[in-house]
Formats: sequence, C-alpha cells, structure tokens
Amino acid sequence: MNARSHGRPARLVTTLVRFMADRFPMHKLNVEAMIQKKEVPLHKMSWAYYLGGLVLFFFGIQLITGLLLLFYYQPSVSDAHASVEYLTRYVPGGALIRNVHAWSSSAMILTLLVHLITTFAMKAFERPRELTWISGVLLLLITFGFGFTGYLLPWHQIAVSATKIGLGSIELLGQYLPGSLADIPTRVKEAIQGEASVGQATLSRFFAAHVVLLPLAAFAVLGLHLVSVQVHGMSQGVDVPSRRTERFFPFFVLKDASLWGVMFFVLVALALCVPFESFFSYPLFEPYDPLGSTPDGIKPEWYFYFVYYPLELLPFWLVNLLMGAAVGVLLLAPWIFKGTSRKTLRMLAAGAATYLVVITLFGDAIYEMLKGGH
Amino acid sequence: MPSAFFYVGLPYAALALLVGGTVWRFKRDRFTITSLSSQVLEARTLAFGSLPWHVGILVVFVGHLIPFLVPELWQAVTANPAVLIGVEIVGLGAAVLAALGLGVLLTRRLLNARIQAVTSTMDLVILLLLMVQVLLGIVVAITAPYGAAWSAGTLMPYVRGLFTLSPDAALVAEMPAVIKAHVVLAFVTLALVPFTRLVHALVVPIHYLFRLPQRVVWASIRRAEELDNQPGGDPAEGRRDLVKGALGLAGAGVLLAAGVLDKLVRFVKGDAMSKDQKEHHMAQKLGRLEQTASQRALELERMRSETITVAKLSELQPKSGKYFIDYQMRPALAFQDEKGLPILISAKCTHLGCTVGSQADDQGRILCPCHISYFDIKTGRPNDGAPAKEPLPRLGWVIRDAKGKVLASRSADGTVEGSVDPKAPDAASYEVCIAKKYEEA
Repeated sequence: MNARSHGRPARLVTTLVRFMADRFPMHKLNVEAMIQKKEVPLHKMSWAYYLGGLVLFFFGIQLITGLLLLFYYQPSVSDAHASVEYLTRYVPGGALIRNVHAWSSSAMILTLLVHLITTFAMKAFERPRELTWISGVLLLLITFGFGFTGYLLPWHQIAVSATKIGLGSIELLGQYLPGSLADIPTRVKEAIQGEASVGQATLSRFFAAHVVLLPLAAFAVLGLHLVSVQVHGMSQGVDVPSRRTERFFPFFVLKDASLWGVMFFVLVALALCVPFESFFSYPLFEPYDPLGSTPDGIKPEWYFYFVYYPLELLPFWLVNLLMGAAVGVLLLAPWIFKGTSRKTLRMLAAGAATYLVVITLFGDAIYEMLKGGH
Repeated sequence: MPSAFFYVGLPYAALALLVGGTVWRFKRDRFTITSLSSQVLEARTLAFGSLPWHVGILVVFVGHLIPFLVPELWQAVTANPAVLIGVEIVGLGAAVLAALGLGVLLTRRLLNARIQAVTSTMDLVILLLLMVQVLLGIVVAITAPYGAAWSAGTLMPYVRGLFTLSPDAALVAEMPAVIKAHVVLAFVTLALVPFTRLVHALVVPIHYLFRLPQRVVWASIRRAEELDNQPGGDPAEGRRDLVKGALGLAGAGVLLAAGVLDKLVRFVKGDAMSKDQKEHHMAQKLGRLEQTASQRALELERMRSETITVAKLSELQPKSGKYFIDYQMRPALAFQDEKGLPILISAKCTHLGCTVGSQADDQGRILCPCHISYFDIKTGRPNDGAPAKEPLPRLGWVIRDAKGKVLASRSADGTVEGSVDPKAPDAASYEVCIAKKYEEA
C-alpha cells in the first residue's frame, strides 16, 4: 500500500467536509447573527425577499386546515365522497375550512412558482447557496405531489378521472422503451395504483402519501432549506450590490408578519365568498361511478396546465423530453448559470414566466384554436 | 331597609355627588381637573404601572358599559358560546392586567420619595379603593363565571332601572356577598370621583395620541440637548407609537382570536343536523356502501363463475350501448349488430383509460370524451388522428336459452359458431353472456 492510494479517499473526505462546512456555516446559527446583526438589502427586487416566507405561511395554513379536515375525512371508496359532502354541508365551518385548504393550496403553488422564478432571476443559487436552491426545487416537486395526491381524495368524478389520466400517461412511456423494458412503466403505474385500475388501493396510497409521506418529506427538505436560508442570510439579489439595507429584526419581520396578516384575511374572504368548486360544472363533483362513462371536461388543476396542454398538443415524447430537460436544468442551475449575469437571468426568468402565464390563462383557447372542431 | 339604602339611595346620592361635585370643582378651579402627572418625577416604573392599568381598566370598563348601552345586541352576541368564552378570557385578562398595573402604581406611590412628596391622602384612598374593587371584580369573575350571560337578567335591568327612575333593589339583594360588595363599592368610587385625581377620567385626552408630541422636561438646556441627540428619536413619541400599535394589535388579535376560536370550537363540536338531514345522510351513506358491496359482489362473481349474463338479447340495441363489467373488472359495452347478434366491446379507452360513452353516432362510433377519440363499434378502431392508436378489443360471447343450452358463441378471435333465430317463440328469454374461456389471460 503506497501513500497515493491512501491519500485519495482522505482528500475526497476533506473536500466533502469543506464543501459542507461552506454550505452550512453552523457557527452562524445564533441570535446575534440571525437576529441582531442580520440585514436585508434594499433594491428594486427587494419585494421578492418576502415570497419564501409567504409560501411558508400558506404551507402552515395547509397543515392546520389539513389536520382539521382529517377529523372528518374517511379514506374509503364508499365513504370518501359522503364524508367530504357531510363536512361541507353539515359541519359548522367545514365548508370554510375545506375552501381555505383548496384556495391556500393554489396560493401556495402560485407563490412558490413566483418565488422560484424571482430567486432564479436574482441568482440566489450562487455559491454557497446551491443546496438551498436544490432543496427548493425538491420542495416544488413535493408540492406538486401534494397537489396531485390531494386531488383524488374527494373521490368525485373529476378527481378519479383526472388521476386515471395522470397515471395513464406513465404507461404511455412504455412505447419508447425497447423489448422487455417496455413493461416497466405499466408496472410502475400499477405499483402506484396498487391494483389494476384506480380503486380503494389507490385511494389508500394517495391518502397515505398526502397526509404522511409527503408532509414528512416536506418537513425534512424544508428544514434543510430554512436552516441554509438562515445561515446564509439574504442574497445580494442585484448585480451591483445595494448599499442600502434594512434591519431584519424588527423591520423586515414586522413587514413579513403584516403581509401574512393581510394574506390571511384575503384567504378567508375568498374562501367565504367563492367556493373553489365554482370553477367547474356540478356533474364533475358527483360521486365517482366505476360503471358509468367519464363525463366531459376532465382537467387537472390549473397548476398542471403548463404540462397538460403541451401533452394535448405536442407529441408525447417531445413533452417528456422537454419536461425532463426542464427539471434537469432547474436542479443543475447553480452550475449551468454560474457565469451568467443577473440581467440575462432576468430575461430567461421573464421568458419562463410568460410561458407559464400564457399557457395557464390561454391554454384552453390555444387548444381550441389548434385542435378546434375535433 | 339596608338594601333600599345600598342599592337605591346610595346610587342616587353617588350620582348627585358625581355631577354636583364635578361642577363645584370645575367652578372652583378648572385646572385641578387633572390627574397631576408625576411622570417628570419618576417615569420608568410609571410606564410599567400606568400602561397596563389603563389598558386593562379601559377594556374592563367598556365590557361593563356595552351590555348596559345595547343589552339586546350584547345578549345576541354572547349567546354564541365561543364569543362568551372569548369575552370571559379577554375580560379576566384585562382585569388581571389592571390589577398588576395598579399594584405597581401603588407600590411606587408608597415607596418612592419623590412621589411621596406630591401624594395626598385622597390619592392613597382612591388607589386602595380601586385595588379592592378590581380584586373584587376578579373574585366575582372566578366564583360566578360567565357574567356576560347571567348579568342579562339581574344587574343589567337593575342599572337600567336606576336611569329610568324605577330602581329594583330586589334584583341585587339576593346576589352573593362579593357581587353586592362590588356594586356598592362601585357607587362609592363614583361618588369620590370629583374629590380625587380620578376626575381626570372625565376629560380623557384622546387627542394626545394624535397631536404633535410635547415634551415635559426639567427646564434644563443640557437635558433638552440630551433628548435631541438620543438615538431613535424622542422616547415620548416612541411610547405614543407603542400605545397606538399595541392597541391596534390587541384589537386585531382579539377579533382574530374570537373569529378563529368561534369557527374552531364549532368545527370540532361537529354537525348540527336536523332529524331529516340525519336520515337523509344515513340513507346516502348506506347507498354508497351498497354500491361498493355490489361491486365487490361483481368481482367475486368474476372470480367464481365460468359465464356471466350481460343482458337479455332482446334488450340490446344497435345505437345505445349497455354498460357491463368484463372479467377484468373493466367497463365494456353491449350493442346489437344488423344480424341481431351481440357486439361486445371494451369501453376502456386505449389512450389513457377513460370510460368511453355509450351512445353510438350515425357512423356507428362511440366517443371517448377525455381526449376525443371516436371508436367504430364493429371494428373497435379509432378514427384517424385520434389520440388513441390501438383499437378497443371486442369480447367473446355466448347466447343461452332459458334452459341454459348454448345456441351460439363468438370466441375472442372472432369465430362465430351456431346461430340464433330472433323470431323463435322463446327468443325473449335468450341471454347474452361473457365466458371466462374467451378472456385473454
């Protein structure tokens, strides 16, 4: 055994330790660094510093209302729909809490997307914040998971049918795989479903994922995300560092808290005045009937439109390729865009934002225009 | 009659003294209508005493005033248990706060030499009186809780009676001693108002919160400069902001807590259903269970039986399909062709698995509504350009007569054996079945 082969693993360990020490300077985890001395830069993008906290606020609302919904929800194919209806109709405040849960889920995803785009535009993923960024992308995926699994739970027509379609698209991947590999997507789909078609096993699994697995995953990744945000503080955000700053405590915290307060009232007012279901026609909310035909107008939630409409319009393989590439670029952004200026990043972010807004608002119109008249 | 004296005579005497005494004091020297601030002598303990005391006692005072001013509204609002609990918590909290603040003020007045110099006998009397009164109030709130509710039929009409000149001492005479003491002491305090520093309560300087700040300092240039150079500005202004902010936050917090608590308590307590609603709900739940049970029965039947009846042959129609469940528990449709034989076709879309509609159009096609694929019911093939690429599989069938004799059959690969005469006398009893042997493995 010579010195060389002995030295390499040791060097690797040292590099790794140094990498982690740079990313998690835990000595900064104290009152002085986190509260007394923390400063927030003031510039024209400063508003974006409030978005992450806002997502956290909506997540908290989801936790609390979700726990309350658990008091009444029964995850079985015969009782799920009836229990949701019972909660909405007969339990005082039940409709409100369910509505807050639905509105807040949408608000959380919307804020999360804006948070992601602005963070990208401000180059906040720059060293040493790579892991903060990656954990944020993971949280986005987890949140989409929450949306997809939660959609099934009321067990009405649109819920079950949309889930069938969503899971069905996994199966379609099989056609691009050679030989016996072609069976794998079907196997994966059935493993998620738990049985040959969407049924009790699927409901149980989605319920477990929605109320236990995903929350645990979210807590873990969120913990990492928040700790690294705390130890690194706010990123500079603009190419020319701003000379004006504001004290984190109490000024930033107070503004943050008042924003949360305003959002709470907006949320409750929306939930009281506009039932989330009013965006769809009623038959979609009838209990799922395994023996009947699928009703018209099955659609995923608006936050899946950015992948739903391309799937309807473009070849399946192309959409998969693009989405895979998008996730890859997101995860590797800290290294891909290492040398890119914030000006360029802002333009890229604006492009992505434009795509999301256009496809979400006008996806249906574009679909009608291109495929109109069937 | 002591009760007539305490609950009728004393109140009117107190009110007379309050009005007359105030007029007398105002006439004598209007500038004594003040609490004679001692902030300039000692400011630090004062802030810890005066602020909690005033915030607390004002909340308590408003709590005593509202039911007297708008009794019906108050009763309606406190009929809600969550609000009642909220009122109880806020009231008791404010009383404790007031007592603590008053304690600080009392200690300060007794121990600080500078304050001693300007303390009159009446100052001490009224402080002690208020202390006893607040403590009595707390004892009442603990021994006879939910005062907002029980006072509606007792103390509220009594106090209103005093003002409508029809006082009813009996309403108070039967109450526990603590409450009676609290009432009597209230009138004694009222009577003393004009003769003590308490008179300042009649001229609450609300505009102080909104006027430009004025500073009270010893006439010393050094002190004024010190204040000017103090980081963070004038502490008096800061305090003013603190009071305003704290009041706003406390108000918002109380409203928010009351609203959230109200919803939560009732949410956790559960439904408020009428008998009809309960019945309807239970029937609905039973219906859903039966639906699930029948589906389980279908599954079991498909595990056990070699053949399963789909429909009577005579029921089948060329355009309007009949749904049934195949051996794999997937939806399927039964039509009739032009020869009078059945067409059994899977109804699970080959694209993403939606259930295809049952009404065939003029070209004999059924529609999957999810992504708009039309399938020919004879061949199962989708239209050109449809999202679905694979045809819907046709299923094999068996036709039996009433005795169970097989008349005709079609295997999964499409071979038809035997024939059926739709005009036969027993044709109405012919049954169309699916058979396990025709199912693909």
